[in-house]
Amino acid sequence: MIVTSEELEAIRRQAVEEYPRESCGVVLEQGRLRRIVRCRNIQDELHARDPQRHPRDARTAYFIDPRDLLRIGRLEGEGFTIAVIYHSHVDAGAYFSPTDRQQALIGGEPTYPAATYLVTSVVGGRVEAEAAFRWSGRERDFVPVELGVDGWLLPERILFAAGRFWERLRIGALFGRKA
Amino acid sequence: MAVTVYIPTSFRRATNNRDRVEITAVDVRRLLDQLEASYGGLKGLVRDEGGEVHHHVNIYVNSEAIESLQGLRTPLQDGDEVTIIPALAGGGRAPVVAAA
Repeated sequence: MIVTSEELEAIRRQAVEEYPRESCGVVLEQGRLRRIVRCRNIQDELHARDPQRHPRDARTAYFIDPRDLLRIGRLEGEGFTIAVIYHSHVDAGAYFSPTDRQQALIGGEPTYPAATYLVTSVVGGRVEAEAAFRWSGRERDFVPVELGVDGWLLPERILFAAGRFWERLRIGALFGRKA
Repeated sequence: MAVTVYIPTSFRRATNNRDRVEITAVDVRRLLDQLEASYGGLKGLVRDEGGEVHHHVNIYVNSEAIESLQGLRTPLQDGDEVTIIPALAGGGRAPVVAAA
């Protein structure tokens, strides 16, 4: 599972609320405990303060407020780990951009190798798509992964669908016998 | 001056998975010197070759960012807590640049 349906709904809602600025946040987990931390994007402030160093504003970039980072750090200190780092792309697709990649690496190594990066595409104020990416040690890059929701990854969904299909067949057979 | 340093998850590969270490130092610069001397893998992760903290790394002393204190010269006292946290940032499409 990457996100629960409730978390995904909250992430979508935030992305729409903050349009046309990029939204951002993280999901932390500790065993079965999960906590979503909605973060503040301070990219506009950075851009206003130093446009040379920060040429992008919040329409095309995000930078999580250091105060939120501190909150996240405290939760990590309590035993939580970052499971998901999410942000939105404004009027652009749900892809892992070169900027996303660059910012997710320190010295060529992933800052959070175990975290999944979730990107939500918001076009015209509406969520158009989501995509998830995770570091692959073999590929030495971030690769797309199935966006599992509520514990159902693709194989589990196929098994579930197959089970439903089988149930229907059996029920159909029962009806057939009764008829 | 013994202070506790919180090591973020992403840097723990350099500290044998330790999330907190005790360091004795009088200011943040010397604390980082000690930290890098004890855990060589941290070299280059927190500071660049010139000894300056990477722009994508935030350091706090008792929840206060060192930029708003005295930077690397921020003095430390016994029992202080120092937190190191890498920035989380990124962005979508490149901004459209108007033609001249």
